Amino acid sequence: MGDYVWFHDVSWHASYAIYFFVIGILAGLSFLSYGSWITPALRPLREKAAYISLGLLAVGGLLLIADLSQPMRFLNTLNPAYLNFSSPLAWGALNIVAFGIVSVLYILELKKGQDSARGKLLAMIAALLALGLPIYTGYDLTVHQSRPIWNTPIMPVLFVALAIASGSAAGSLLAGGNAEAQKVLREYMLWSTAGVGVALISILGTTNYGGSASELTFMVLTSGTMGTIFVGGGILLGTAAPVAILFLAHLRQQATAAMLMLAALLILLGSAALRYALLMGPQQLQTLY
Amino acid sequence: MSEELRVSSIETRGAAGKKRYAMVVDTRRCIGCMACQVACKAEYDTPLGVNRTWVPYKVVGKYPTVKKQFLPRLCNHCDDPPCVRNCPVDATYKVEDGGFVLQRYERCIGCRSCMAACPYNARFMLPAHRTYSKITRVVDKCTFCFHRVTQNMVPACVQTCVGRSRVFGDINDPNSEVSYLIARNATQVLRPEEGTKPQVYYIGADRNATEFGRDAYSKPEVMEPERSAFKRHFNI
Repeated sequence: MGDYVWFHDVSWHASYAIYFFVIGILAGLSFLSYGSWITPALRPLREKAAYISLGLLAVGGLLLIADLSQPMRFLNTLNPAYLNFSSPLAWGALNIVAFGIVSVLYILELKKGQDSARGKLLAMIAALLALGLPIYTGYDLTVHQSRPIWNTPIMPVLFVALAIASGSAAGSLLAGGNAEAQKVLREYMLWSTAGVGVALISILGTTNYGGSASELTFMVLTSGTMGTIFVGGGILLGTAAPVAILFLAHLRQQATAAMLMLAALLILLGSAALRYALLMGPQQLQTLY
Repeated sequence: MSEELRVSSIETRGAAGKKRYAMVVDTRRCIGCMACQVACKAEYDTPLGVNRTWVPYKVVGKYPTVKKQFLPRLCNHCDDPPCVRNCPVDATYKVEDGGFVLQRYERCIGCRSCMAACPYNARFMLPAHRTYSKITRVVDKCTFCFHRVTQNMVPACVQTCVGRSRVFGDINDPNSEVSYLIARNATQVLRPEEGTKPQVYYIGADRNATEFGRDAYSKPEVMEPERSAFKRHFNI
């Protein structure tokens, strides 16, 4: 030993991972609310998904603002004179505000209690804006060229898959004993979680064959406490186990309520663990540079 | 460097009629006295626990033939700075004539995106309480002593460097000392693979010090008690 390294703190702390988690669920629920206009089986979820989505947006927005060291200056991100459009955060701020406005309009339309064409249009716009949320959060990490794991083009795709998975899992918990809705949702959960698995294999494979920083980040993510969270919580419990349960249900074309609830809870647990590990893991090595 | 090699419009190295300040750090001349760090602290009242410049070292070799390898560090004032691209509110920007990468404190929202973008850990969050300055809770970094350089002085760390390890000047001026040193010596920059085109050039830097070593994985967090105390004290 005898080395002297100045310790640097991580840039983004765990609250940002919670924000990712919340924003993923709200995006997924927004997709389901729009899906209810196309798939009749999801109709019972339409209002619930829209309300919870807007509620989670308020929670996520407050988390994001509270995480700033100058919370009141969040308005700067909406000031046209200040906006820097080469930053994904600037696009994200606009996306969040636009989604909030459209969600409020959509809910006002839903309050009328009729299946109007305007309601369907607003649901579609809200879903498209919701799609932008996981894309921008993934892109927010991707643009950091010096961070292994983050700096991969697949990150926004992974975040979209995580949003569909966690949104469908939340929808499954909301649907309760509605067999028709559960049948659709279990397929959504299965294929989106399988997509998450494929993206993770791709990311880990390429990272392990990267340069020294990539290789060391791979080691940080797959061992110790971070390894328990990422591999144990995120990959095994949160991805592989629900895929196995749901695939079994897919083969048999039937599933018990307990199986679906377990799969949904595991997906939510896994998506939280994955977001935490994917955010914090790649920052660990940098603290010692 | 010829102008044709510039790939991004923001780059000013080699741009005609513009200054492009750079620093050369001759690690062979660094004695690890940390006077640069102290001079910087004195110049800016940089709070406890954070630094605009710092001098890490590694002990290399096998006893009794051991030596310390110093690697003075600071913001690299990149010609293509990722922090500028990442700031959502243009709080960090590059001065076109001179190449300084600076911070607008009154505009910074404290999202730390620039900190995450910097491959060199050159940025830090100022704590909530400071003794002499009212600038708190925003991101700060080395400014290449913009206020001194624009008054025809060299940065505080360069002025105080006892071994003349740090040399500062205009790299676009072929007659400057930094141009001479870069032309006559093999130089290295930190993490060139990131494409940031850093403007701090090292002479005699060892790859053991400039790259991630495998020991980074198993290194115990020797600074952890200090970091925890700092965060508790300054509420960050």
